[in-house]
Amino acid sequence: MTVQDVNLTPRQRLLKALRCQHVDRPPVACMGGMMNAAITEIAGDCSATLPDAHFHGAKMADLALAVARATGFENLAVPFCMTVEAEALGSVIDPGTLACEPKIVSEAYASAADVPPWDTEKLFTSARLPIVFEAVERLAGAGTDLPVIVSITGPLSTSASLVEPRSFFKELRKNKKEAHRVQRQVTDFLSQYARLAVRKGADVVAVGDPSATGEILGPALFEEFAVPYLRDIVRAVHEEGAPTIVHICGDTERCRDLWPLIESDAVSVDAMINLARLKRSFPQIAAMGNISTFLLEFGPPEKVVRRARKLMDDGVDIIAPACGLSTSTRLAVIRAMTDAVRNEHL
Amino acid sequence: MAKSKEILFQELSDSVVEMEENKAADLAREVVEEKIDAYEAIDKGLAHGMERAGRLFEEDEYFVPELLIAADAMYAGIEVLRQHIAADSSSAPGRIVIGVVEGDTHDIGKNLVKIILEAKGFEVHDLGRDVPPSVFVAKAKEIKADIIGLSTLMTTTMAGMARVIEMLHEAGLRERIKVMIGGAPISQGFARKIGADGYSANAMAAGDLALKLLAQRRILGSLSAS
Repeated sequence: MTVQDVNLTPRQRLLKALRCQHVDRPPVACMGGMMNAAITEIAGDCSATLPDAHFHGAKMADLALAVARATGFENLAVPFCMTVEAEALGSVIDPGTLACEPKIVSEAYASAADVPPWDTEKLFTSARLPIVFEAVERLAGAGTDLPVIVSITGPLSTSASLVEPRSFFKELRKNKKEAHRVQRQVTDFLSQYARLAVRKGADVVAVGDPSATGEILGPALFEEFAVPYLRDIVRAVHEEGAPTIVHICGDTERCRDLWPLIESDAVSVDAMINLARLKRSFPQIAAMGNISTFLLEFGPPEKVVRRARKLMDDGVDIIAPACGLSTSTRLAVIRAMTDAVRNEHL
Repeated sequence: MAKSKEILFQELSDSVVEMEENKAADLAREVVEEKIDAYEAIDKGLAHGMERAGRLFEEDEYFVPELLIAADAMYAGIEVLRQHIAADSSSAPGRIVIGVVEGDTHDIGKNLVKIILEAKGFEVHDLGRDVPPSVFVAKAKEIKADIIGLSTLMTTTMAGMARVIEMLHEAGLRERIKVMIGGAPISQGFARKIGADGYSANAMAAGDLALKLLAQRRILGSLSAS
């Protein structure tokens, strides 16, 4: 180990790990958004509590700092839900509660064909986008050495929160032209959103696209409707000089050969995926994951520790929860996970 | 010459598998014109086709979009045939209340389960997504449901499933109503832990499980009645 390794800040460590460069140990991170760690045990005791922190930039930033402090995750991440994008595009949300994330109450459009063209630039002053930008700016200026991750909802998940999802999934086959048009508009919006977040100070852009799983779409539609749009966002972020994480839920094995086409620096996957194997197949992609959130909620801390150590032995680049954490997850169990990774050399 | 009943049923079945909504409706109208039993045409034609589409889903030939479009074809045919079902041939195997538990707005899986249950002939009362535990219990009581089916995609909401079972106990309904659960984070172990009667890993398995639970319930019902 070189001297530089020992002196790595969490920001440097994560950025190096994302680029598959040598690090002293993997970082332990949590990408935010649909996979945020604002459990009730933390948010309930924080002056920036939920659901308030979804709606105020300063509170959003304060809660992100509190989450990192309490959990030991080596990054800051905002926002704490996956409804920011669809809300800005016109869908109606329920603000949620302390224990329950905001959610889409009704999609703005019944079908893809109903989605009108929009002026992307005007969107960034509407709904909660300015709140997220403010939070990112505050976190970047907070004087910590923790990297700031902005978490955005992927194109297919955003489209399926903007258009009634059953219609949208059918239109992927029955009305490809309109489905592609919506995906294009949504992707242009998300790309610009990601660019602006990087300019406000985000170190990393994470994209969570739970609806774009091969389990739902199958490999053919995943290749046609998920890959090119995710890649466009990744390229936009790369143009801004920042790395990306793309998280896809569920059993992605069927689509694994398509992963490199997305061009993301890191892929984050669900608990059922064998990350060691993924790493062997694609050594150039940073592997992130994948401690079962079921285990984090119900499992004993010792089992979580064993699992974290196993992932480190397997050469996983970034240790992280496999999917969205339950808000009733106990802090002590999360702490067991982060301590296991951080104290590896002790 | 008119087509034989068997050929018409086969064509109905094929129209669902091939996701041909208009064709399914046209064939259903042919069934009516030929005065063929509408219930049989649903059972051996449309539902049979949906069952085949479901198998293709299990085999990774079809995915969610295909299954949803195939279901549209099935429903288009059923819509035509519904009013022609003879009163005595409606032998709905059971009533089931389904929904996604509170806190989760993902309902693709639940919609697939609904489609498969309807193809199996169940009378399905769909409460939609983000449903509070008390609403499941009230609806099940109201329609005298045989089964409650609970779905979630999120670990966050799993506690809501346990709450439904508790509330059934509190209402004295637990003996009468079977509970089945499913969804990505759910496992057989979790089903046992919260005292659910069954767990299914996918929509096709949910259809078979519902039939099994119904049979159990009827056996128990006849025992307690005698």
